[in-house]
Amino acid sequence: MKSAPGVRAGMTGVGLRSVHYPYLLGRPRTAVDWFEAISENYMDSEGRPLEILLKIREDYPVALHGVSLSVGGVEGPRPEYFRRLRQLADRVDPFVVSDHLCFTGAHASNVHDLLPLPYTEEAIATVARNVAVAQDALGRRLALENVSSYLSYRESVMTEWEFLIAVARRADCRILLDVNNAYVSAQNHGFAAEDYIDAVPAELVAQIHLGGYSDMGAFLFDTHSRAPTPPVWELYRRAIRRLPDAPTLIEWDADIPDWAGLEAQAVKAREIRREEHELKPA
Amino acid sequence: MSSSPLERLQRRFVRSVTFAADADLIAAVTGGGRLSAAEAIGVYRDAYPARLTEALGETYEACWRVMGDEEFFAAARDFIARAPSRSYNLSDYGESFPEFLEARPQAQGAPFLGDLARLEWAFLRLFHARAQEGLEPAALAAAAGPQSILRLGAACVLLSFKHSIYGIWKRDRADDTPLESGDWEGAQRLVLYKRGTNEIFTRELSVPEYAALTALAAGRPLGAALEYSGLDEEGARGLFAFVADARLVAEVVPEGHGSR
Repeated sequence: MKSAPGVRAGMTGVGLRSVHYPYLLGRPRTAVDWFEAISENYMDSEGRPLEILLKIREDYPVALHGVSLSVGGVEGPRPEYFRRLRQLADRVDPFVVSDHLCFTGAHASNVHDLLPLPYTEEAIATVARNVAVAQDALGRRLALENVSSYLSYRESVMTEWEFLIAVARRADCRILLDVNNAYVSAQNHGFAAEDYIDAVPAELVAQIHLGGYSDMGAFLFDTHSRAPTPPVWELYRRAIRRLPDAPTLIEWDADIPDWAGLEAQAVKAREIRREEHELKPA
Repeated sequence: MSSSPLERLQRRFVRSVTFAADADLIAAVTGGGRLSAAEAIGVYRDAYPARLTEALGETYEACWRVMGDEEFFAAARDFIARAPSRSYNLSDYGESFPEFLEARPQAQGAPFLGDLARLEWAFLRLFHARAQEGLEPAALAAAAGPQSILRLGAACVLLSFKHSIYGIWKRDRADDTPLESGDWEGAQRLVLYKRGTNEIFTRELSVPEYAALTALAAGRPLGAALEYSGLDEEGARGLFAFVADARLVAEVVPEGHGSR
């Protein structure tokens, strides 16, 4: 596997979104080090979206982030999905290929949502089996992201982070640690987000996500419609102390700001990392 | 064969999101925050139609504009209740939406909606198609003879509509002048194509031009296609000039190699 040029420890990036295409096609100097592309937006296209992604790739490292693998689905992955994702990955040479630790429905009725799994041995075995198929088909390791959730299952026999770590170890895959999702789930389910962040082994973490949630009053909703909130930034500071090399990404999917607004969040993440690792006396 | 606990749970979850909350699932979960179990399942249940409606709105933007929010959302709600998403890609959702719109009683006042939706779906497919640089005009002219089969490139779509919808589709979003029957009356034939780049071009076709191009697309030799179309000599020359200039032809199969 080729290594993407420009990949370096602790870099900060943003999600590539179509509203910023016109600006980015001017090849401006930016403060971001890399981009993350939603796999499904490009793997089924031979048109303009792919053309733009390949142009971006000329100047930046790129990670591919999927939303439809349904790695926890009992029906198993769809071969066609892997064929197309493999084709895209071979063209883009991403430094990380990731998806979510969840299921997204059934083949005959995809609900296109990140539905939580119960934290059980059967779920771990199912995910591990599907990851093996995926990694074999893709020829590279996957990273799985912890999702925000709004319910928990009575049959769960471990904490969310124990489940995440067990999956990564059993499946021999890596973790995309979404700090915002950890915070949202912690608030929704009444555990300490700090325990979650502290428990995840550094060697398993391929990447970090930061995003914004919406406070719905009765629960926190992972909307990616705003900047990370102060408690999420504090949690990120805690995470980055142990994970100085992990690439960090700002995710923003709704009410997306202009480029400067998005870029400012990446700069903020970089500054926090710098404060923790370069400005503090040893 | 009995299903496993995880299989049963996932089946119940999908049913709860797409149909109605399953009592066994409600009993199996605890709501997050201050949500009850049913309310927590409702978070996922509410997100489902919102997400699919958004996908329909992105694909069928002109239909949405013509129908207005209330009518479009009502149509989307009814369609989503009938048509589950079978693709992993949300952008694939809604292929049968044109026929659904056409069959709705509310479509009587806007009989062109099905055609407009078909154009939007075709545009989306072409948007994602690989740009193809067909043969240069000189190369095409040198290679093509009456017995040649002209294979059209993949980035070329021929469309025939009962209603005149191209003008409605192209209409300025800010233009809220009510449509009148004169805006959509009359059949229309279009070719949508890319030529070397990802820009999409459109040309309206006459009845014989459309007949000639569909005959070519079906693999009929050039001479036979033109004869079938009924184009006169001048019309045939004009169509050939357009086909050459637009670089629609990916390959010319020489005489004697055309039968399949």
